[in-house]
Amino acid sequence: MRILVCVKQLLEPETPLCIDESGRWVNISQTTPRQMNRFDEYALEQALVIREQTPDTTVDAISAGPESCSTVVRRALGMGADHGIHLLTGDQGYVSPIRTASCIALAARSRKYDLILAGVMSEDMAQGLVGPMVAEMLSLPCATSCIFVRVELAKASVYVEREIEGGRRQALELDLPALVSIQSGINKPRYPSLSNIMRANRQKLEVISTVAAEPSRSCEDLLHLSYPRKTRAGVLLEGTRKDKARQLLRVFRERSLLH
Amino acid sequence: METTVAVVAEHRLGLVNPVTYEAIACALEILRIRPSRLVTITIGEDSEEAGRQIAAKTGSQVLALKVPGLEEFNGDAYRTILAGLLAELEPAWVCIPGTSQGLDFSPGLAVRLGQCCISNVERVVERDGEPAFARSLFNGKIVAELSSLIAKTLLMVQPGAFSAVFTGSHSPGVVETRTIEWKSTHIRSLGFRIAQSADSALAEASVIVSAGRGVGSKENLDLVRRVASLFSKSTIAGSRPLCDLGWLPYQLQVGQTGATVTPDLYLACGISGAQQHLAGMGGSKFIVAVNTDPNAAIFNVADVGVVDDLEGFLSDLLEESNACSHK
Ligand SMILES: Cc1cc2nc3c(=O)[nH]c(=O)nc-3n(C[C@H](O)[C@H](O)[C@H](O)COP(=O)(O)OP(=O)(O)OC[C@H]3O[C@@H](n4cnc5c(N)ncnc54)[C@H](O)[C@@H]3O)c2cc1C
Repeated sequence: MRILVCVKQLLEPETPLCIDESGRWVNISQTTPRQMNRFDEYALEQALVIREQTPDTTVDAISAGPESCSTVVRRALGMGADHGIHLLTGDQGYVSPIRTASCIALAARSRKYDLILAGVMSEDMAQGLVGPMVAEMLSLPCATSCIFVRVELAKASVYVEREIEGGRRQALELDLPALVSIQSGINKPRYPSLSNIMRANRQKLEVISTVAAEPSRSCEDLLHLSYPRKTRAGVLLEGTRKDKARQLLRVFRERSLLH
Repeated sequence: METTVAVVAEHRLGLVNPVTYEAIACALEILRIRPSRLVTITIGEDSEEAGRQIAAKTGSQVLALKVPGLEEFNGDAYRTILAGLLAELEPAWVCIPGTSQGLDFSPGLAVRLGQCCISNVERVVERDGEPAFARSLFNGKIVAELSSLIAKTLLMVQPGAFSAVFTGSHSPGVVETRTIEWKSTHIRSLGFRIAQSADSALAEASVIVSAGRGVGSKENLDLVRRVASLFSKSTIAGSRPLCDLGWLPYQLQVGQTGATVTPDLYLACGISGAQQHLAGMGGSKFIVAVNTDPNAAIFNVADVGVVDDLEGFLSDLLEESNACSHK
């Protein structure tokens, strides 16, 4: 079977963020360290597990974004994906999920994947929209936030368990081809192996320019960004580490939390 | 023509999930900016029963779509049924609880209807006489305001962000029922299973010392445990990544997909403050956060914050506390 995994590149979460002059995005330099969205690592790992269990299975990884995104596709190859696709966009700043989804759907349509996996959301935007939007654009059945996935080739279906609130799971059977978004904790994502990294470095990525096929629709406008307001006092303790420890113990005693 | 704001309720076996009222609260904020007609939609076998409760509590008009055989949420069913109904009602805004259910059916529904879709809405603001919607980005470090470029928008409302206060001073809304046939096609429901239930220690504890990815290693959890043992009636807990790593059992996970806790003290150690975590602990009586990153969002909801390395700070905290108790 043919599996596609959608992977996104993010700034490292600890990167200090500063809103730019336009007030509509943050300052990002070429050198800002980046990494793969961790929810996508779980999705990719799941694809690799399915490949181990299912004969004649190939795993493609796809990422839509600027030049820098090629490294996240290479990382996917390093983890073990067979083939990497980079949808090169000229996008800067906020990118509408509908646009990302249109790019991915356009590339995926002709390739006839049996299963498309995506992380449940990206850590930076936390929208959770691209995966299920791709599914709708390709008219695929879709289940989100899955914490268990088992392909049943004989039935041409996939059995999934969606994580829902209250410690419960919803069990579903989807006809293939389908799109499934993956929740963290479903597996333990592997690190790239040396042999795969070497292969990844030699291998050519398939680069598709999406500029020509620009899906023009953007449905929302990012008006402006701001820093969050404090909802509580948020008093920061000052002084040496020991000073701060003593102050905190005093706060605990004043509130009768400690005696 | 008067515009319409719709709410898609969440309910199961005749019980209304309280997030429904939060979505209605969000809709009412839109109504303050753009006076409109409010309609709440319920879907499924139990739609009438759920609809009557909502109409009584909020005064909202309710459209109950009775779907024989649809006892549980099914994404395919919701997309198909709502695509038909919304094309008819033409609401300018649809407020949907941003739960696992809302996040499952809404993005596809928006694509099907060619509508705008904004998820995890935390606030409604007025911009140029129109409603705009605020949500967190970058793990809560930045707030973005988004507005719709097209006439119709689906909004997924962040659980816990809107407070639903409904006084009894209204007459119950009218409940209109329609019956709709639906047959499952490519997605078949196979029931539910209980994966884990929250550890009762979490509900009973008056102090929770909670660890996030910032603890760095499993060994450092020992420090967290020792800090917890300074307090009586205390327990440790953690953010989701720690449970995913297998360092803590899922029964001790706090957040949207874990336990909701309201202890006297919540000491957040190396937790960034993602919305999904805040959803489970934002109501704690006193919140202290320790984090190396002065811009971590957790500090915005904390009463007291310590910008420091966890391992060093907790070690000193233990030492100082020992020093005091031996004086
Ligand atoms: C559908 C869904 C449901 C979810 N449900 C939940 C849920 O129920 N509960 C939950 O917690 N998450 C949940 N999440 C995940 C959530 O989005 C975040 O990814 C998660 O809360 C982040 O956990 P964290 O703060 O421990 O890790 P991170 O975000 O990685 O934060 C680690 C923090 O540690 C700090 N740090 C690093 N090193 C140190 C050090 N040496 N000393 C001190 N501080 C340090 C960093 O500055 C950072 O702020 C859910 C996600 C989805 C998509």
